[in-house]
Amino acid sequence: MGVKMKKPEILAPAGNLEKLKIAIRYGADAVYIGGQDYGLRSRAGNFDFDQMQEGIAFAHDRDAKVYVAANMVTHEGDSKGSGEFFRTLRDIGIDAVIVSDPALIAICMSEAPGLPVHLSTQSSATNYKTLEFWKKEGLERVVLAREVNMEEIREIRRKTDVEIEAFIHGAMCISYSGRCVLSNHMSNRDANRGGCAQSCRWKYDLFDMDDVATKHSLIKEGDDPFSMSAVDLAMIRHIPDIVSTGIDSLKIEGRMKSIHYVSTVVNVYRKAIDTYCSDPENYTFDPAWEEELWKTAQRELASGFYYHIPTENEQIFAKPRKIPQYTFAAQVIDYDPSTKMATLQQRNNFGVGEAVEFYGPGLIHHKQVIEAIWDENGNAIDRAPNAMMIVKVKVDHPVDPYYLMRKKR
Amino acid sequence: MIEVIATAESVNQAKALLTVGIDTLYVGQDQFGLRLPKSLTLDEIEEIVQEAHKFQKRLIVAVNGLMHNHHIDDVPDYLSKLDQIGVDAITVGDPGVIMTLQELNLSLPFIYDAQTMVTSADHISFWVKRGAIGAVAARELTLIELENIQNNISVPLEVQVYGPTCIHQSKRPLVSNYFRYSQKNEATNRERGLFLSEPKDPETQYPIYEDQNGTHIYSTEDLSLMPYLDRCVQKGITTWKLDGVLLQGDRFVRIAQLFVSAKQAIESGAYSSATFETKLHELQPTNRPLGAGFYLKQPGDVQ
Repeated sequence: MGVKMKKPEILAPAGNLEKLKIAIRYGADAVYIGGQDYGLRSRAGNFDFDQMQEGIAFAHDRDAKVYVAANMVTHEGDSKGSGEFFRTLRDIGIDAVIVSDPALIAICMSEAPGLPVHLSTQSSATNYKTLEFWKKEGLERVVLAREVNMEEIREIRRKTDVEIEAFIHGAMCISYSGRCVLSNHMSNRDANRGGCAQSCRWKYDLFDMDDVATKHSLIKEGDDPFSMSAVDLAMIRHIPDIVSTGIDSLKIEGRMKSIHYVSTVVNVYRKAIDTYCSDPENYTFDPAWEEELWKTAQRELASGFYYHIPTENEQIFAKPRKIPQYTFAAQVIDYDPSTKMATLQQRNNFGVGEAVEFYGPGLIHHKQVIEAIWDENGNAIDRAPNAMMIVKVKVDHPVDPYYLMRKKR
Repeated sequence: MIEVIATAESVNQAKALLTVGIDTLYVGQDQFGLRLPKSLTLDEIEEIVQEAHKFQKRLIVAVNGLMHNHHIDDVPDYLSKLDQIGVDAITVGDPGVIMTLQELNLSLPFIYDAQTMVTSADHISFWVKRGAIGAVAARELTLIELENIQNNISVPLEVQVYGPTCIHQSKRPLVSNYFRYSQKNEATNRERGLFLSEPKDPETQYPIYEDQNGTHIYSTEDLSLMPYLDRCVQKGITTWKLDGVLLQGDRFVRIAQLFVSAKQAIESGAYSSATFETKLHELQPTNRPLGAGFYLKQPGDVQ
């Protein structure tokens, strides 16, 4: 039996109340959400104060924390009302706010003293001196830029004791965060105020010009066009490095993602980190964890900047080389052990004869072939075609409420 | 009092710019500063500062990079040397550099320059309280916003009035990666002169190149406030930056000279925007159209 390691926090995205609860049920130590204002995901389902209070109560009952991202880069007038906003967050029990704009940091510090402030990755903190600066300013935590590598994080850890948060999974900006206004130029949408149109993922012509400004394309017939699309980050193969480096909080990207995605990703990292921390010496990476992540992956997965500067293999030019093989089909809302009947809420069309997989917290899995489906009135039906409809199916293994059911595409 | 700031690519160009009446020169090294026309040695910077001071003009040095640990390790020595040789101010975007400046207790003032992030008076005031003597406005602001900001801060707001604007910086070698993927053997540096165009707008031409700080993409048009300079002055926007990052040699000096003439014309009440506009178009490279960027938009147009 080896020495136990200090466990870092697993920080999950929560686009709405349902996702918040699922993330925590599946093992997140903390979640980050958006408020109605001052955030960068204007199209994510954001929380009003009532929903926040319900989320906070749910989280605190389970020793989990709730952070609010207020990481907009404000223009004149945008910060109006933010003092009251921060005070309200503090008073209803939000555990910290994630901010990048110094104007908002100053307002938060003076108007809502006692509310911890985390520096957003949007500020691209890339060195130990910068972390020291923000520590001196009274910030509790700094979210590192995604461009910082493992060696640099180790050095930062040695040289400062402010809390460090780093992304371990999800989609990435291909630019230094905040230093990209492609969207402003190409779509009249402000990337730093929640309007990013993801112009980096478009297909571009690449050319040079001669003396009379005639364009000569470097992309020949049949070539894939130029693009700046990054593959996604996944550090599941590198848990010992991530934990031993001493990062305090491991962040999963994706406030826009589904409960299928959030539950799967949190479940996997919870398992891997618990396994490692309970017995680091005898830890081995389980390839099944990565397979599990692939079930909801949106793009190929790589280790970002942690071990090398991303190459052509971490940039997407052609069609994605692998696509998710599973789709979310239903959520378990009840289970009767005497009849082995599970009550499901439908999330995607499924039917009799289909092979499905139930999974739950703790990375529990049960394969199942759907043999029969009954509707709410007890009538046998072939398929469950309607969104959110309640049906019953018989299962071979016990399930619990909040287990989810996915099927192969 | 209008101040015209111009980038310089060499000692010779710096002298030429001083001769045509530029008030402040802007230079630096790629290791510490972003997107400079040329990376100059400390000896060259020292020569330029002496020339500038001979003309009773100022020299600002770019220390506005996104610093990783190995950069920040070298910053104290660099700052001390810049201070020693008499540099008048530096631009800084990384709080780690500000922390270092405070610790070294140098007399070297800093101008806050975090590029796209500098978008409000309150933001700038945060850094003024921590010692900044000026700030460089994001290029994505409107004139209405710029006026508002300048009226609500106690230091000069530097506004780019000429040249390409950077719209994307990645640490990744985005173009080299593409060439490796498509098995092409091509250079990706600035001299290679590569451009991107949008899928739905083939007329666009965004310059793109790689250097030691990663990949940089610029606006499809060179920014020019030449037609609106008198309006800028009325609104209190009097610290003008000319960026020659993509324009070499004498042509940039002649354009700088034109802006100096425009400044003088405004100061003497003899400014005619049409005349200056025509002259600028004569000097402007054919493959770089001119435009007003975001300056003429309404603050609510881009959200």
